[in-house]
Amino acid sequence: MILKPEELTPLVDKALALGASYGEAAFHRVKGFQIILMNGSPITASYTLSEGVRVRVIAGGSLGFSSTDSLEKRDIITAVEKAVKHAKTTASIVSKGIEMSDERLGRARYEASARKDPEDHGGEDLFKLAVELYKSIDLSRYKVNINSFLLGLSYSIEEKSIATSDGGLIESRIPRLEVFYTITASSEGNRANRWQQIGGSGGLELIDELGVTQAIEDDLRSLELYLRTAKSPPRGRMDVVLGSEIVGLAMHESIGHPSEADRVLGREAAQAGLSYRRRIRPGEKIGSDLVTVIDDPTIPGSYGFYLYDDEAVPARPRYLILRGVLNEYLHNRETAAIMGTHSNGSARAEEWWSEPIIRMANTYMAPGDYSLEELIEDVKDGVYIKKYMEWNIDDYRWVARYVGFEAYKIKNGRLEEPVRNPALEVNTREFFSSIDAVGSDLRFYAGTCGKGEPAQGVPVWMGGPSIRLRGVVIK
Amino acid sequence: MTLWELAEASARILRKHFEEYEVIVGNEEEIMLKLANGEPSVTQSWNRYTITVYVAKNGKIFQTSLSSTSPGEVLEKLDTILATLTPSPLYAPLPEPTGQNYENTDDKIVEIVRSGDLSKVSEDLELDQAGNWAGTIRLAREERVLVNSNKASLHGEKTLFNGYMRVFADDESSGQWSWTSTMYRPDIAKKAIGAAARLAEECSGLPKRKIESGNYNVLLSPMVAGNLLEIVARSASGGAMLFGFSFFNKEDLEATVASEKLTLYDKPHDRELPGYSQFDDEGVATRDKPIIEKGVLKNILHNSKTAKLFGTKTTGNAGLLMPEPFNLDVAPGGLKDDEMLEALGDGLYITNNWYTRFQNYPEGLFSTVARDAVIIVEGGKPVGCAGRVRIADSMKRLLSNIEGVGATLWQIQWWEVSTPTRLPHILVSNARITSE
Repeated sequence: MILKPEELTPLVDKALALGASYGEAAFHRVKGFQIILMNGSPITASYTLSEGVRVRVIAGGSLGFSSTDSLEKRDIITAVEKAVKHAKTTASIVSKGIEMSDERLGRARYEASARKDPEDHGGEDLFKLAVELYKSIDLSRYKVNINSFLLGLSYSIEEKSIATSDGGLIESRIPRLEVFYTITASSEGNRANRWQQIGGSGGLELIDELGVTQAIEDDLRSLELYLRTAKSPPRGRMDVVLGSEIVGLAMHESIGHPSEADRVLGREAAQAGLSYRRRIRPGEKIGSDLVTVIDDPTIPGSYGFYLYDDEAVPARPRYLILRGVLNEYLHNRETAAIMGTHSNGSARAEEWWSEPIIRMANTYMAPGDYSLEELIEDVKDGVYIKKYMEWNIDDYRWVARYVGFEAYKIKNGRLEEPVRNPALEVNTREFFSSIDAVGSDLRFYAGTCGKGEPAQGVPVWMGGPSIRLRGVVIK
Repeated sequence: MTLWELAEASARILRKHFEEYEVIVGNEEEIMLKLANGEPSVTQSWNRYTITVYVAKNGKIFQTSLSSTSPGEVLEKLDTILATLTPSPLYAPLPEPTGQNYENTDDKIVEIVRSGDLSKVSEDLELDQAGNWAGTIRLAREERVLVNSNKASLHGEKTLFNGYMRVFADDESSGQWSWTSTMYRPDIAKKAIGAAARLAEECSGLPKRKIESGNYNVLLSPMVAGNLLEIVARSASGGAMLFGFSFFNKEDLEATVASEKLTLYDKPHDRELPGYSQFDDEGVATRDKPIIEKGVLKNILHNSKTAKLFGTKTTGNAGLLMPEPFNLDVAPGGLKDDEMLEALGDGLYITNNWYTRFQNYPEGLFSTVARDAVIIVEGGKPVGCAGRVRIADSMKRLLSNIEGVGATLWQIQWWEVSTPTRLPHILVSNARITSE
């Protein structure tokens, strides 16, 4: 049973009747199927169904949230009453009341299309696809011992209805497909592993469209290089060419997360941390003129696709860095009201039990016009890092570390031998300022971004072209 | 409908199609207060029912996880889905259900959760006096029922009170600490908040200094050691070894994998820690056991599936797919609180961390980022507060370089330590540190 937005309206009316100044109710269902193969045999398959109702209110300037996965009317009404009670209980110790920004809210129904909709195909087809996918990989071509090869295929269908007390009414359906794999291999006395996640919105057709077979084969080749031929990297200050996989991640970590206005305002301080954008404000230069970074939920087929956020605000591309200058934050209605602006549609909730909070969708660096060869040919001594395994960043999002998995030494404009574990540790300003050339090879990579308490994981794309950094330190 | 009724209704459907099945029905009532900038940012509550179903036929296995109270339609389809699969190499018959019922609840927690009113907690923790605090306070009641085709019929109920607080003395000086218990213990919450506040104050009063990358002796707070030792414990799971997420392997059993100063237990029977349980997800009796004892790997954690592949017996750590620890406990050492900095000598006191990631699981190569106070210690005295440094090392090397273990124990559970863990400070020599 799906609750329609109109069926949720009485809940927000009830919240208002109980003394709330704002009410929002959502029905949220995610159902999915997953199959996991180990070395080609299914070790487990699972079906998941998660559905329930969440209610969020403002009362006395304080925010309350309650949710239930019982769809019994009395349990849902209890959730409304609890949300209002939670808000009222803490209202006396909130000094500055929470408000929602005024917005033109959506009244719409939309869905992401799938040519092979998972609902029409089901578990049997997914299982066959997983086995076919595994069999399509000729492991004997690679001179490594495969210790374990874990391959998972899953689909999900996310259905939501949202109603707000100020007129938002949204209904949506988004099917998604995800492939993940972990390959552990050994050779020459060395051991290593490589994991990858590939995904998009759509149906089973994405396995071909997203190039899954090619990605696995390319990773096996990378493992072979890492285990058999890679040498210690050069260390010190040098020019570095980064592949799109790392650039996409860096856009997510070094400008996407720090642009979340709730983080800037301190709401996530004890969890995901704060942001350098508390000190470096919009309008200030953070990088070279070549750097423009966008977060855009509206990219068709993307993993982070949506057209209205979970507060019923229309989605649009957000320009986080424009030609090297810090631009807008990612906002929900709460932070937009605090900063005297409008929401740009960034509120997302993972499931029925999740408070809508500010999230990225598909974050990427705008491409330039260099080919990869052109980026490399102008480097005298340096490193090309194509793929990574280890990464992290501090909780102000200022110093990041990316450790190369497939990487090469560059000498006089030419790629030389593979190198193992070159570690780029760089602060955000130096990273963006050292970019002197941007490639045309924009690619996107799927991820599940974690934030909030309880932690919520939402699907995102991270994208970028290859880029060249001048004079950064490799450790 | 009660959990028993829901479990029985599910089992009735499964019995029609499967000789081997299991149903775990859970209910969690939970309330959480989140603070930021010294004030409540949101109060959240949940009433969550979960139904986990496992079925097996002819060596094929299938699981279903439902967050819903109407499972019938889904369960009727399982037989059709299972028919499309091929046998799983992980399959093992469900083991004998040796587990016991348990109850480990605190009425005060149940009362607060059900009232939806956190006024008492707010009063007990003096939240109206909060400075620049950010954090989370969580209370929950969890109940579960397990029935299976081996005639398991088990019930467990417990409560938890856990949280963490980050205290800012100024923009550059903060401390963070956590607490956890099955009982309503404002005393340990206040002690944890006090520890965070002291670190923030101490860092604020010290000069800010950058340090160079290199090898340092480090004193790891229970927050940091808890994060790293949880990874160690999870790496000791047979599942992690099979699937490539471990720097241990089968041959490490009974081998020295750490300094003799480290003893790490899995303690499901510890009534004070919220991972408490008398049965695992296969209905098997849990038991306290050493994972690492005086540096030697004594147990690989198993469910019946991984045990079969390793040619051994379950340790009562199911996870239907992955074996997992319940509660972690590190045996205390002899270092008293006022001796720890002296024992560190010259080095870094790292008080909190996050974002631990592996470059290479089998080799144990990883890094983690320090956050909050990193105190520079020279001659046993604090002389400065460093920026955000990283430990970038090998987990095996770090374990071998444990030089000392504190005497005072803390109960930790937060964002970066999901398994409830009781542990002291841990002193490590010669750790590889990177700095910007």
